[in-house]
Amino acid sequence: MARSIAIVEDEPSIRANYVEALTRFGYQVQGYATRSEASRAFNLRLPELVIIDIGLGDEPEGGFELCRELRAKAALLPIIFLTARDSDLDIISGLRLGADDYLTKDISLHHLSARISALFRRLDALSKPMNKETVVEQGPLRLEAERMRVSWNGQEIPLTVTEFWMVHILVRFPGHVKNRDQLMREAQVVVDDATITSHIKRIRKKFIALAPEFDAIETVHGVGYRWRV
Amino acid sequence: MSLRYKLLLIALSTLALPLAGWLFVRQMEELLRHGQEQALTASAQALARSLVASKIALPQGQGLYVHPLTTRITLDGYADDWKLLLPYAQNLGPIDDAQKLRVVFASDRDWLYLLAEVHDATRIRVDSHDTSAASSDHLNLSMARGESTRSYLLASAAPGSFEAAVTDGVEGSVLPKVLSGEWQEDGAGYRIEMRMPLSQAPDRIALSVFDAAGRGDVAVASADPQDAELHPLLRYSRARADDLALYAPQDVRVRLLSNDGWVLAKSGELAPANTESSRRRWFESLIYRGLLAPGLTAAQDFAFGLPRLNATEVWQALSGVAATAWHPSEREGSVVLAAAVPLRVQGEIRGALLLEQSGDALPILTNRALLGLMGASLLALLVAGGVLFLFASVLSLRIRRLRDAAERAVRTSGRLDGRLPLSDARDELGDLSRSFGKLLDEVAAYTDYLRTLASKLSHELNTPLAIVKSSLDNLDHQSLTPAARTYIGRARDGAERLGAIVRAMREASRLERAIAMSDGEDFDLAAVLRGCVEAYRPLAGTREFSCDLPDAPLTLHGAPEMIAQALDKLFDNALSFTPENGWIRVTLCALDDGAVITMANQGPLLPPAMQEHLFESLVSVREQGSARGSGNAPHLGLGLSVVRLVAELHRGTASASNLTDGSGVEFRITLHSLARRRLSDPS
Repeated sequence: MARSIAIVEDEPSIRANYVEALTRFGYQVQGYATRSEASRAFNLRLPELVIIDIGLGDEPEGGFELCRELRAKAALLPIIFLTARDSDLDIISGLRLGADDYLTKDISLHHLSARISALFRRLDALSKPMNKETVVEQGPLRLEAERMRVSWNGQEIPLTVTEFWMVHILVRFPGHVKNRDQLMREAQVVVDDATITSHIKRIRKKFIALAPEFDAIETVHGVGYRWRV
Repeated sequence: MSLRYKLLLIALSTLALPLAGWLFVRQMEELLRHGQEQALTASAQALARSLVASKIALPQGQGLYVHPLTTRITLDGYADDWKLLLPYAQNLGPIDDAQKLRVVFASDRDWLYLLAEVHDATRIRVDSHDTSAASSDHLNLSMARGESTRSYLLASAAPGSFEAAVTDGVEGSVLPKVLSGEWQEDGAGYRIEMRMPLSQAPDRIALSVFDAAGRGDVAVASADPQDAELHPLLRYSRARADDLALYAPQDVRVRLLSNDGWVLAKSGELAPANTESSRRRWFESLIYRGLLAPGLTAAQDFAFGLPRLNATEVWQALSGVAATAWHPSEREGSVVLAAAVPLRVQGEIRGALLLEQSGDALPILTNRALLGLMGASLLALLVAGGVLFLFASVLSLRIRRLRDAAERAVRTSGRLDGRLPLSDARDELGDLSRSFGKLLDEVAAYTDYLRTLASKLSHELNTPLAIVKSSLDNLDHQSLTPAARTYIGRARDGAERLGAIVRAMREASRLERAIAMSDGEDFDLAAVLRGCVEAYRPLAGTREFSCDLPDAPLTLHGAPEMIAQALDKLFDNALSFTPENGWIRVTLCALDDGAVITMANQGPLLPPAMQEHLFESLVSVREQGSARGSGNAPHLGLGLSVVRLVAELHRGTASASNLTDGSGVEFRITLHSLARRRLSDPS
């Protein structure tokens, strides 16, 4: 039974391309051009994963609205923002609404499908018993690779897929400096340095929000970051 | 010259006020003076008429003045005891040489003295009783008393005592039968000094000189004792003074003058001085003299002790026209008005009357007016000057504020920190400010447009780029000929490069936003630099890479991430311009309140025109096909604008210059601590 994915995107060429590509990866894909169209369809039946563009036709913030609706309907539904807008403000707004990931449109289809499959894996992992091998423990940190869950002192830290992968590479090699390129490759994004920096900042903030004493991610200026042992 | 001083100069125009006032006061004073002159002249004329009516005795013709003596006269033929009176000597010489014979008469209580000086360089000496006396040098003296006259011949063969021979009118008379005197000579002439008792003294005298020219010449002047004119002897007379006192008005000094200006009688007193402090009087007199008084004649011409008055006004009166003059009085700070009128007896001028009145009231009055005026105008000047100065200060302060704001705006290319000053002022400056504001808004809008052009462009490019990329990805899965695969590969390369360009364009604007949201933290700048330098070392390759960092930590409050990024850009820049065997040098110096980082590298120099604009976005000085071959990351000149943004975030500057020795280029950023505040953080 193929998993169903909905793409809400107002640009027909992109929509068609993504629909085709994801279909080729074996998903059952449905594309929508407007928010109202998508809402109507979701009212009938929810897909298992939604990819949303923020600007929808004449609604510059339409994607955010749609995300809000969907979160209200289904708390666990994986939602990915895929958009040309990459300002920190937009990213933060999107993630606050509970999106699982925020990607810019220059991501390759290959990377996109990796994200999608990772999210599905996480969904599956949540309903399965924990797989011991994939758990990394580092002091108060506990990282379940399968479920893409990170917890600190037993409290779960809500990370997006990109953020999770960044934490993942840092934690797997504690004490090693990982430069921005490595982080980028691991998180399967192609972005500039400033974006990596703001990702790390957000990760720190999320930890600090739950554990004010958190300082495990250390900046090595000019080089990169490492997980303090 | 600043506005302030210009306006202060304008304030000087209030000086026109005292000037006008001064002119007015002067005119007023002149009027008052004129009135006083007329009044005094009128009373002088009245007095003259009453004197004439009272048959006061007035001499006719040229009189000989008998000076009252204050010192003893020694009869010796020498004039030194006459020194005080000599200036008043009267000339009785012949018409063509009046100075040939000069005489002075004086009297004490008992004697009438006579000094006669004759200029005569050629002498024929003989005694008066000699038969040839009439044809030798001699003086003829005729005296008359009442009806009787007597003439004498004065001559002497040698200096010393002499006796005069009576030549005429020998018969009974009170006049002395014998006249003796002293005779002295010098190279210029001879001198006769003689005296007679007052009881025998004449009331009219004639004197003439006979100069027998030496070497048988004709006489230069002959004096026939018969036709020599008898001159009345004039004296100061107490009786006449009493008469004068009878008629003279109060507080007026009156002098009766003969028709030669000799003082025959005087009476009266000037008004007493008012008792004010002398200093004040002195000051007032200074002001009065300096600013108001008419041309004053010399006071000494009118001194009360003079035996003879020689002032122009007196002569004018003696010629028949009343005249007035002002002169300073002996007392400080007051003036005296003198009025002279002729005394006519049956149409003939017999003398003059000189009245003097103190003009104290005038100076006081006008001084008071003038001082009041000066005070008022000084006050007005001060007030006006002060007000104008204040106004100018405020004005220039406002203009300076406007200018400063404009300059700040220029530095930030049209962005203003807040509103322009004066923009709600309702005057021309407000207008100017508003116009400035409009202009700056335009500039700012345009600058913002330029600034955001890159990010807007990148936004717009993103979607078509995504279409291309996803289409290529989909194409990959089609069955394609190898040739098509090659093309796809190339297309993907192109798309990748486009993507890189778009990312670079976005970076600056993302950074600006990131900066707006960045929080400061305390960090050691030296450590940051050390980390960066270690990371760059492998990248430098064959180039010589040196750094000079302080050992001591250099603590700064700021965004280390950003600084590291800026350093990356600088290093990138340096790397791409430095030849393979060149050098790159990084230094860090501490400032009082921050730090300076320089990154110098060997390589081509900057074109001078570019040094200013190097840090603006989308500016690049790389030539086509520069050190980086094609296929490398594109260069849009965004890197250095990031450096500028980071420096500005830390309240510093970024600048580039050529090294002085021309070997390369130096980039320099100054950094200061951020203000310690948490910026609004939307996350």
